[in-house]
Amino acid sequence: MALLEQAYSFVNMRFLFEGLAVTLEVSVISIIFSFIFGLIFGVIRYIEVPYFSAVVGFIIDIIRNLPLLLIIFFTYFAIPELGIRMTPMSASIVALVVFESMMLAEVVRSGIQAVDSGQMEGARANGLTYFQAMRYIILPQALTKMIPPLVSQFISLIKDTSLATIIVLPELLYHAQIVYSQNTTYMLPMYVMIALMYFVVCYILSLAARYLERRLG
Amino acid sequence: MAMIEFKNVDKYYGKYHALTDINLQVQQGEVVVVIGPSGSGKSTLIRTINGLEEIESGQLIVNGMDLADKKADLNELRKNVGMVFQHFNLYANKTVIENIMLAPRLVLKRDEAENKKIALRLLDTVGLAEKADAYPKQLSGGQKQRVAIARSLAMKPKVLLFDEPTSALDPEMIDDVLNVMKSIAKQGDMTLVVVTHEMGFAREVADRVIFFDQGQVVEDDPAEEFFKQPKEERARQFLSKIITHK
Repeated sequence: MALLEQAYSFVNMRFLFEGLAVTLEVSVISIIFSFIFGLIFGVIRYIEVPYFSAVVGFIIDIIRNLPLLLIIFFTYFAIPELGIRMTPMSASIVALVVFESMMLAEVVRSGIQAVDSGQMEGARANGLTYFQAMRYIILPQALTKMIPPLVSQFISLIKDTSLATIIVLPELLYHAQIVYSQNTTYMLPMYVMIALMYFVVCYILSLAARYLERRLG
Repeated sequence: MAMIEFKNVDKYYGKYHALTDINLQVQQGEVVVVIGPSGSGKSTLIRTINGLEEIESGQLIVNGMDLADKKADLNELRKNVGMVFQHFNLYANKTVIENIMLAPRLVLKRDEAENKKIALRLLDTVGLAEKADAYPKQLSGGQKQRVAIARSLAMKPKVLLFDEPTSALDPEMIDDVLNVMKSIAKQGDMTLVVVTHEMGFAREVADRVIFFDQGQVVEDDPAEEFFKQPKEERARQFLSKIITHK
């Protein structure tokens, strides 16, 4: 018991929460940008612009089939060789956005495809332009259908931020490691605590998604 | 000038010849019923009229616009040519009243108060005033189709196309939809092209009947003559089949 009290001391917990704050910051920024890019790339994949969509599809396939860790190393260690210097924070965000937006593009594309084709036909026959039909009819329905796979991808993203510990991003896992490297008996309590933190954050997100899905569905 | 004119129109799906040398005219205000066996190309025919299907050759002039021209402005065309589908195609994410108001708002820029007034009046005409705030999934098939008709009418089209509007409905729902269609037909100012198997409807309101088979116009007669005695053997056989089953 004394061990737990020492391990979960105010100072240690504050340090863990600082790590959690960085994890959340990187997650939120990455989720926002990868959702925007995922939406754009997903729509491009769906509407099949000649040549362009094929090129986009090829890029999506390449990135989806690379390990995220490799992309993180690439942005942090390789890109500075080209003269663009990045902090661990910006390198992590760039790597996560590049990887996750490609994953999301496929979610978006299949979400749009799942909308009954009669919806587009009805809208076009009713006089709406292609973009009006997309904006008011197809995308809102597709997004509702996409909520579960989108959220599970967001949850993956939050968990994947822990990979950035390797490029010394001061996120949750990294801070836990710092705490138990002072005193290795803290190792088990630290892992349990950060597991709990990751779980709470991700579980709240999935509950929110379930609520949203029920309200919109 | 005819409202709709097909001149030597052909359409292919790959190698399949869906429409063969179609020549047809529909005058303004006419009610034309297209009948024929399933798979004969009736739907393809009617879907070319609002540009949902492209034609490969020939000329198709609708409301003065040549649809064979690749630069034809289909959005402009569709302001004047409405369509009612077999499977309704109501906007699943919009309420009934929003289904009706959306296109007039976005496409015609109709004033919001005016838009609502027209939508409510149309809903009343089709007998669904109390369903204004319902979502499509809360309606029966027949109700959906009546909303779809109201949605098309809200655009005040010159031409209204019906693609088997009662084929997906339960029998007891069909009459409500046909009654709405009949009252539109009897008003007489709109040009209607109706693909249907409802011979009672055709008999009562059609000016002309076109019998369509294997992608071709087999027979094109004034309705009265057609129902008295079709000229072509294929049309006679088809007619006797669907009428004896009633």
